[in-house]
Amino acid sequence: MSLLWLIPALPLAGYLALAFGGSRLSRAAAAWIGVGSVGLSALVALGVAAQFIGTPPAGPAFHQTLWTWMSVEDFKPAIGFYLDAMTVVFVLVVTGVGFLIHLYSVEYMAGDEGFRRFFAYMNLFVASMLVLVMADNLLLLYLGWEGVGLCSYLLIGFWYKDRVNGRAAQKAFIVTRVGDTAMALGLFLLVWQFRTLDVQQLMTQAREQWRVGAGMATAAAALLLGGALGKSAQLPLQTWLPDAMAGPTPVSALIHAATMVTAGVYLIARTHVLFELAPAAQLAVAIIGAATLLISGFSALAQRDIKRVLAYSTISQIGYMFLALGVGAWSAAVFHFMTHAFFKALLFLGAGAVILSLHHEQDIHKMGGLWKRLPLTFWTFLAGSAALAGLPLITAGFYSKDLILWSAWSSNAGGPALWAAGLIGAFLTALYTTRLVCLVFFGEEKGRVASKPGWRVSAPLAILAALSIVGGFVETPRALGGIRWFGEFLRSALPAAPGVEEAPERMESAMMLIASAAALLGIVLAGVLYLGMPRVVEGIAKRAWGAAAQAFWLGGWGFDWLYDRLFVKPFVWAATVNRDDFIDSAYNGVAAFFSLLHRGIIRTQTGRVRWYAAGVALGAVALMAIVLWVR
Amino acid sequence: MQTVWPLFVYLAAAAAVPAGMIMVSFVLGARHSDRATGEPYESGIVSTGSARLRFPIHFYLVAMFFVIFDLEAVFLFAWAVAVRELGWAGFAEALVFIGVLVAALAYLWRLGALDWGPKPFARLSHSRHKDS
Amino acid sequence: MSSADWIAISPLIAVAAAAVVVMMLAAFWRRHAIVAAASMIGLAVALFCVLPARSAAPRMVTGLLAIDEFGLFYVGLLLKGSLAVAAVSYGYLRARGRDAEEYYALLLTATLGCVTLAVSAHFVSFFLGLEILSVSLYALIAYTRERARSIEAGIKYLVLAAGSAAFLLFGMALLYAEYGAMGFAPLAKALKASGGANVYMLAGMALILVGAGFKLAAAPFHLWTPDVYEGAPAPATAFVAGVSKVAMAALLLRFLTQLGATDSRPILIALSALAVASMFAGNLLALLQRNVKRILAYSSIAHIGYLLVAFIAAGPMGAEAATFYLAAYMITTLIAFGVVAALSPRDRDADAMEDYQGLFWRRPWMGGAFVAALLSLAGIPLTAGFIGKYFVVASGIGSALWALVLILALNSAIGLFYYLRSVVAVYARPGEEAKAADRAPGFSLAGGVALAVLGFSLILLGVYPAPLLRLIQTAIASL
Repeated sequence: MSLLWLIPALPLAGYLALAFGGSRLSRAAAAWIGVGSVGLSALVALGVAAQFIGTPPAGPAFHQTLWTWMSVEDFKPAIGFYLDAMTVVFVLVVTGVGFLIHLYSVEYMAGDEGFRRFFAYMNLFVASMLVLVMADNLLLLYLGWEGVGLCSYLLIGFWYKDRVNGRAAQKAFIVTRVGDTAMALGLFLLVWQFRTLDVQQLMTQAREQWRVGAGMATAAAALLLGGALGKSAQLPLQTWLPDAMAGPTPVSALIHAATMVTAGVYLIARTHVLFELAPAAQLAVAIIGAATLLISGFSALAQRDIKRVLAYSTISQIGYMFLALGVGAWSAAVFHFMTHAFFKALLFLGAGAVILSLHHEQDIHKMGGLWKRLPLTFWTFLAGSAALAGLPLITAGFYSKDLILWSAWSSNAGGPALWAAGLIGAFLTALYTTRLVCLVFFGEEKGRVASKPGWRVSAPLAILAALSIVGGFVETPRALGGIRWFGEFLRSALPAAPGVEEAPERMESAMMLIASAAALLGIVLAGVLYLGMPRVVEGIAKRAWGAAAQAFWLGGWGFDWLYDRLFVKPFVWAATVNRDDFIDSAYNGVAAFFSLLHRGIIRTQTGRVRWYAAGVALGAVALMAIVLWVR
Repeated sequence: MQTVWPLFVYLAAAAAVPAGMIMVSFVLGARHSDRATGEPYESGIVSTGSARLRFPIHFYLVAMFFVIFDLEAVFLFAWAVAVRELGWAGFAEALVFIGVLVAALAYLWRLGALDWGPKPFARLSHSRHKDS
Repeated sequence: MSSADWIAISPLIAVAAAAVVVMMLAAFWRRHAIVAAASMIGLAVALFCVLPARSAAPRMVTGLLAIDEFGLFYVGLLLKGSLAVAAVSYGYLRARGRDAEEYYALLLTATLGCVTLAVSAHFVSFFLGLEILSVSLYALIAYTRERARSIEAGIKYLVLAAGSAAFLLFGMALLYAEYGAMGFAPLAKALKASGGANVYMLAGMALILVGAGFKLAAAPFHLWTPDVYEGAPAPATAFVAGVSKVAMAALLLRFLTQLGATDSRPILIALSALAVASMFAGNLLALLQRNVKRILAYSSIAHIGYLLVAFIAAGPMGAEAATFYLAAYMITTLIAFGVVAALSPRDRDADAMEDYQGLFWRRPWMGGAFVAALLSLAGIPLTAGFIGKYFVVASGIGSALWALVLILALNSAIGLFYYLRSVVAVYARPGEEAKAADRAPGFSLAGGVALAVLGFSLILLGVYPAPLLRLIQTAIASL
């Protein structure tokens, strides 16, 4: 356990080595450092997790305080790490999936001139995320939170020579910043109320001092929720994620699977006490999750770019996690986080392999028939798609999504409306996922396959495919064995959702069947439409209402348009009007004032000794006068 | 103020003496202006050349060495007066003191600061670039 | 004197002996590398002697020297600083290529003066230490005697330092005349017995502050600083700015604390006046300056102003803040002038802003160190300077010195301008001329190691100041 600090320190060391080694490092050395540091970190994480399970700590968590940064009365920010069951899951996923993505990147980025820079940023990204999930106090957590934001900016704009990419990076940064500001305010509120930075102490004190529904608790929870919405790309701050596809594909995989977007889920789960104290805020989480998963599900249906389909599906799947958080099914959210990390990393890496072999072609309408050309990519992609679509019984995605739907129905905080939204979402997910697979891998061949992936691409795909299938058998419905390993493992950190365990088993089975039916219906319908009757699809798209819906969904429900009118245009207008910035004139005045003072006082530097001596003498007289005057 | 008045008397006396001397010589002194009145008097010999001579630097050096080493000797006199009371410890301290002086003298000698010739500081110029 | 006394003052003896040895080497075995190595070894031995001296502490040696945790902490600090200066000097003097050996003897005697100041608890040792330091500095400042500016700086410093020493002596004389004591502790006792401050005491203290303020370059006694810093060879400037000031501040801290002068309102107001004047004078003078050595000179004036705020803040918190601030300031200053020394060619010092244009792209490590030093001077987080300033502000707030803290904040903002302008220069793309002159003639392995250690400490203290803070707390507790 004393090695806990190594987990974030190793990628950080990798970053430092790459950043300062710079062009002196050979590509091979950079790859070894970049991949090795995360790999070692994953190994340490595995060891730590084994010890956590083998010899559990006395309390709910291991605690390691490295040192205290400074100590002034109540303000004692420590560099300390906190490892409970939830952190174990996050650390394992971040380092494990992160390692596979790094390995994949070695081949994917092989020809890029910014190879070393890429791995430096990626290492920093992983390190920041680890600091975020392992921090025991709010200041360190915030450091990780901001580090993640910074790295996402750097990596989305990685190919900065193209203006579009730079703009996408700025958009991601600015939109999440809106949420970050809310979150910072929330943290200030907590520190102000409880005079401590320690997360666990905060939660204990909040439970003792605030009653359920207290205004302060609601405010704190709502502000934290704001931060989570920004990072996790939920309504209304979801617009940055589809544009974030401007970065290299491994970056997308990292952002979507292991880091960044899951930070919001982590934050809410970590501060679940606050949300339990603020039912209104918790209900908002559930409603936002449900709304987001529906809206982005429809959007995914209309996208033409393979990566944008996946981007909208991520927003939608994070919506599921928020739905779970909102109904108090904390461990279900973490469960879906884990399975989602497996299959979404897999899908992005598979998409990257497809894109690479087709000379950076991303339009799914220009793909097709690839299943013969890229068999490994096809089969693994199929596994990931099945998990995403929630193909019953054999995929991890099915179990985690089913648990969320069941919790949405049976939890005290849930209800039929939330459940129905989730169900429709499941249907949509199956629909667009199958559409994607059909268009990319089946039908007639349109592009020419230029290259086949090597082992560094194939191995991560295979491992993730396996995890996407078997990763779900750690938590199953009662009708299918009733395994409860995952939930019980997390029980020491996250309470069970109220009302779920008590609900009748027959109801659970019925719900499971309905959910399975929805997923299967989606898969079959999409298969029939896109493989069997492509004419029907084209016919719908040609109709006026069909085209309108497609355009509307393609543009992400017009949120970008709306925000452009509401915020960007007025702001640009104000900036143009105020080109000479009247506020600046005040600052310029200050600067001019001080440079005037400078010109006055510089005259004392004559370079003449007699004047300097006179200065000493005059100063002595003045000092004497002061001392004797005020006596 | 009671105790300070002698100070003022002293101050007045100090001003009065030079003022009185100048006044008296002004009253009693003869006033005439001849050809040689403005010239410096040097035992009746007419002076030649400028008063601003350039002395060799060694003049100052040797003067400084003299002052330094001479003054150091004064401390030894002070020690000599109390040599029995100070005992061996005092003797050791005086020895260290003299040792440092000898070291300084050796340094000056090696550097050629004591040479009175056309090429002083031979050592200094020798040492240029030796290590580079 | 007992053997424990000898052990207690062994660091001082080691430095003095090293000075003699180095002088003998300069006479009989005139090799630059050997002389430099000998002086560094001498300083290291002296540093090592601090450990046994600590076991003998606390102890008054002959009534002149107070060997306690406080004094030994500063002795250690000063010796480390001096060691760094010696290391940096080697490359600089090698590039100059002539008569380097005496420099080290002077450096060692100057260091002897500094450590004497740090442990002195008596007017005699105070003045003795000050003069050992000053006389060595006259020669060190004028050491590059082929440069007119260097000679000019030396003469200026000589005249003004001698003049200010007269003020200091007069102040001591007034205190002695009134209380009949010259040791700090007897003086404090007599002061207490006489029941508070009278005219002689206040006038004497004010005059001592003049002398000390001159050495510290506090406004309005600061006028010499830029001329001397500019004219002196860069490593000597590093010593004047980084080491000698720390010694003087240590003495002042001990003197004011032991005499309880921080309880006296007139003294506090005088100190406040010095602090405010120094902050404004330093920052305003630096504002549009283009000469890097002059910028650093002005910045050091401002920093003395910040430091005095901690002096004014009463109690151990203020003394701790001042001590930490001094340590951070010494490290930072030594890095800044160390880089200047390393970049200086044979015939002049690299003090034009153009010399630093694009330094980061030409020599990333050196540029990085220089930027770190500038950021530390500006008080940007993750550097020692930030923590130092933070403690000073905290101690000021703790003593409710709102006006001073406000002025400090305002001045920090003014200071940002010229620090950041220098940082911008370091990061600017180098011009063609600068590329052609891509050399660091004054760089040596020893200097590089010293800069690396200093840079590492700068960051370490900014991230993990706790161990040093604990050491400082024990040191202050002994005061």
